Amino acid sequence: MSGGIARGRLAEERKAWRKNHPHGFVAKPESLPDGTVNLMVWHCTIPGKTGTDWEGGYFPLTLHFSEDYPSKPPKCKFPQGFFHPNVYPSGTVCLSILNEDSGWRPAITVKQILIGIQDLLDQPNPADPAQTEGYHLFIQDATEYKKRVRAQAKNYPPVI
Amino acid sequence: MEDIGETEDLEPLFDYRRVQPHVIYLNDDKSPASTPKRRKTSKTHVGKKVEGEKKEIAVVNCDEEEDWLPPPPKVLVGVQNQLDEDSTIKEMRLKKQELLSVVNSSAEDVLREMDESAKRKSGSSLQASLETLLAAVAEQPSKPPCERLKIVIQVQDKDGTKQFRMYMDDKLERLFKMYADKVKLDLQNLVFTFDGDKIGPTATPGSLGMDDEDMIEVHEKRS
Repeated sequence: MSGGIARGRLAEERKAWRKNHPHGFVAKPESLPDGTVNLMVWHCTIPGKTGTDWEGGYFPLTLHFSEDYPSKPPKCKFPQGFFHPNVYPSGTVCLSILNEDSGWRPAITVKQILIGIQDLLDQPNPADPAQTEGYHLFIQDATEYKKRVRAQAKNYPPVI
Repeated sequence: MEDIGETEDLEPLFDYRRVQPHVIYLNDDKSPASTPKRRKTSKTHVGKKVEGEKKEIAVVNCDEEEDWLPPPPKVLVGVQNQLDEDSTIKEMRLKKQELLSVVNSSAEDVLREMDESAKRKSGSSLQASLETLLAAVAEQPSKPPCERLKIVIQVQDKDGTKQFRMYMDDKLERLFKMYADKVKLDLQNLVFTFDGDKIGPTATPGSLGMDDEDMIEVHEKRS
């Protein structure tokens, strides 16, 4: 039962998260229409850091865990077309700690993943571009880049 | 006591040992630090209460019925140790007086006196706290176990986390009011969320499926 390991770990992650997590973040497993919970898919919210152009935005992120978790990292996806140099057009986040061939370690927690992605928002990695638009504006037109980021933050207001 | 120890030094080792516990016992009787059990209970209890008033992260009781806990002593922590000792000494004196009166009065008088002293004790607040503590410990087993489950809930704002204690089936609205009072903010401007969802005032920890020490977030509404 390989899935037992993944699910067991995710149940622990869930428990820990409910007792302590950074303010403004949300992370909860998907609830299916029949009332059951799917631990393998988590719906999360990452708040833009205060004091940055991302402030005020509450960005939806979905974590897809595989049966090989935590040996392998989850796939982390923003909505399709999310504006950021290190986010693929599909919305998938490109980050070293989420890459099983580079920075991923099984000990990395959901909390660390989400905080890592929040950091990435304001500190893109130009060495590892994942989309052309975000990347080009970031290195060529700082003013326009800023504008786009702020506009995107406004597009994701707090839900509550 | 020192004298005894000194003379006993000359005695064989075996005798010395036999005497020693007795010496400690005497010491025990006089020193205020002699009632470790009692002091311990009152101390932990006081610690909790003071935390509730002073520190940011504190357990706050949302219960109206306090029967399961003795009333907290209304003393500051700095003075508490002193008072604690003082009260122990006071108690010792009372006991001494009682013992003296036993010698001086008839059995009937003694009974009456003991009744009165019991009343006197429960009257004075500090003494009362000690008494009720002991009483509570003694009574607890005889009472039927409390059926309403309790839960500790953490409330997180931007500045940190506060802990509140309440019943599983109690409305969270009460906790919200207590929190608003505590941080001196208008409840109207606060939004409480659990798992990213706004919590309605009629929700209970039970209805939200909360576990002990689960966290609720507070957000201030933007105007």
